[in-house]
Amino acid sequence: MSRKLGALVLAMGILVGAMGIKTVLSAKMTGQTMMANGPAPWPIPPPQQPPPGQP
Amino acid sequence: MPGPIDLIIWFLGTAFELAFVVCSLARKSFLRYFFLNLYLLLSTTVSIGRFFILWSYGQRSGQYMYFYFYSDALLTVALFVALISLYSHVLGELTAGEYVKWGAVFLLLGTAGFSYAVVAQSANRLSTNFAYELSQNLYFVGLVLTYILWGAVLKLRETRTRLVQIILSLGLYFSAYAASYALLNFSGKFSMMRYICPALGCFLPLSWSLTMLRYTDESRLVPARLVAVPR
Repeated sequence: MSRKLGALVLAMGILVGAMGIKTVLSAKMTGQTMMANGPAPWPIPPPQQPPPGQP
Repeated sequence: MPGPIDLIIWFLGTAFELAFVVCSLARKSFLRYFFLNLYLLLSTTVSIGRFFILWSYGQRSGQYMYFYFYSDALLTVALFVALISLYSHVLGELTAGEYVKWGAVFLLLGTAGFSYAVVAQSANRLSTNFAYELSQNLYFVGLVLTYILWGAVLKLRETRTRLVQIILSLGLYFSAYAASYALLNFSGKFSMMRYICPALGCFLPLSWSLTMLRYTDESRLVPARLVAVPR
C-alpha cells in the first residue's frame, strides 16, 4: 500500500470517528449548540437545516 | 452589549493569547512553535475585530454573526494546522513526515467535503452555514487527533516537558468543549454555557503561556512519570 493511500485510509477513519462522536453528543440537538475559538461572547447561531420534506 | 463578566473574560482571554506570543519571543521559541504563535496571533486580531464590530453593531446583529462565524472557521483551520505541527514535533524523529502531510490534507479536504454535503441543500446563507458546520466538524476532528497524538506521546515515551504539556492542554481544551457541547445538548440550558465556553477560550492560551514561561526546550520529564507502556 502506498504512503498516500495509507494516509487517506487513516484520515477517513479519523473523520468517521470524529463525526460519530459528534452524532452521539448531539443526539438531542436543540439548535443552539456551538463550539468556538476565543473568549468572545456568542452571537445568535445560524438557523439549523429543516428536516427533509418540511419548508 | 455583553455584561461586565463577559467583557472581563473576553479581555483576559485576549491578554493571555498575546502573553503566549510575548513569552515565545522572550524564550526565543517563536519560530520553533510558529504555528501555535500564528494561531494565537490570529485569534488576538480576530478578538479585537470582533470587539469593534460588536461595539458598532451589537451582539445580536447580522454583522457580528457573520464576522464571528467566518473568523471562527479561519481560526479553526489555523488550530488544525497548529495541531498538525505538533504531530511533526512528536513524530519528527521518525520518517513519518510524508504520512502526516498527506493525512492532514486528506482530513481537511474530507471534513470540508462532509460539511458541504451537510449544508448543500440550504439555498439561503450557504456559505455562513458551511463556515459554521466546518468549524464544528473540525473541532471534533481535532479532538480525535489530539487523543491519537497523546497515544503517540505515550508510545514513543516523549519526555520533552514543554511539548507534553502543550499537547495535554490541547487535549483538556477539546475534551472540555466536547463535554460542554454534550451538556448543552442534553440539558438545553443555553444560559448555563454563557460563561463556561468563553472561559474555556481563556484556558488554552493561559496554560500554553505558563508552559512557555516555566519550561525551556531542554526541560525533560522523568519517563516513569508517564504511564508505563511496555514496548
